[in-house]
Amino acid sequence: MGTAASYSRSVKYLSRCAGRPPRVYYSWIGWIGVTLSLLTLIVAVFPARAFAQVELTWSPSMVKGPSGAPVTIIEFSDYQ
Amino acid sequence: MVQRSLAKLFEEYEGRIRLVFKDRPLSMHTLARPAHEAARCAGASGKYWPYHDRLFAEQPKFRRSDLLAYATELGLDPDAFARCLDERRFAADVERDIEQAQALGINSTPTFLINGRPVIGATSIEEFRAAIDKALQERR
Repeated sequence: MGTAASYSRSVKYLSRCAGRPPRVYYSWIGWIGVTLSLLTLIVAVFPARAFAQVELTWSPSMVKGPSGAPVTIIEFSDYQ
Repeated sequence: MVQRSLAKLFEEYEGRIRLVFKDRPLSMHTLARPAHEAARCAGASGKYWPYHDRLFAEQPKFRRSDLLAYATELGLDPDAFARCLDERRFAADVERDIEQAQALGINSTPTFLINGRPVIGATSIEEFRAAIDKALQERR
């Protein structure tokens, strides 16, 4: 466990009993929410970025169909 | 199966689709890489697609002798083809395709990009049609 400062967003409340160090209670629901939000963000953003940023080149002999065709299908495949 | 679907779609959408083949031999398939290099050797003599179709029809018979036999049967010069294969003339080109696939996060085959939109796995012809129709609509 970290200090109250390092988990500042999830601290529900502090109890201050005489003679004892302050107790810190953490809201796990809050952490689950943050984790889910991050996962959603990764799933939404990562594939779009991955498929958008690579420049593809190909050999003319490995192309079939007219160069002006409105649809290009690029097949990544393994003969075996 | 997928290759048959693609051939049928190519007839159905004649003039409206273009197919680009990219090499993505998986490392666990030890005979795949020479086969991909052999197809490019055939391509250098103008026989890429017949050789490509032959490889898919004969998989996984990709020993050196098999690759040479397919070339001979397609009318390619056997000596020139053997030299191309043994010199690994197109190894760097195959490697470049693999690097591009990895950069895109493509680690399974087949994977298709239909106007840039990924379609992963051995898709049915109906799914292909739907993806192509959608791409055509977006171009209008």
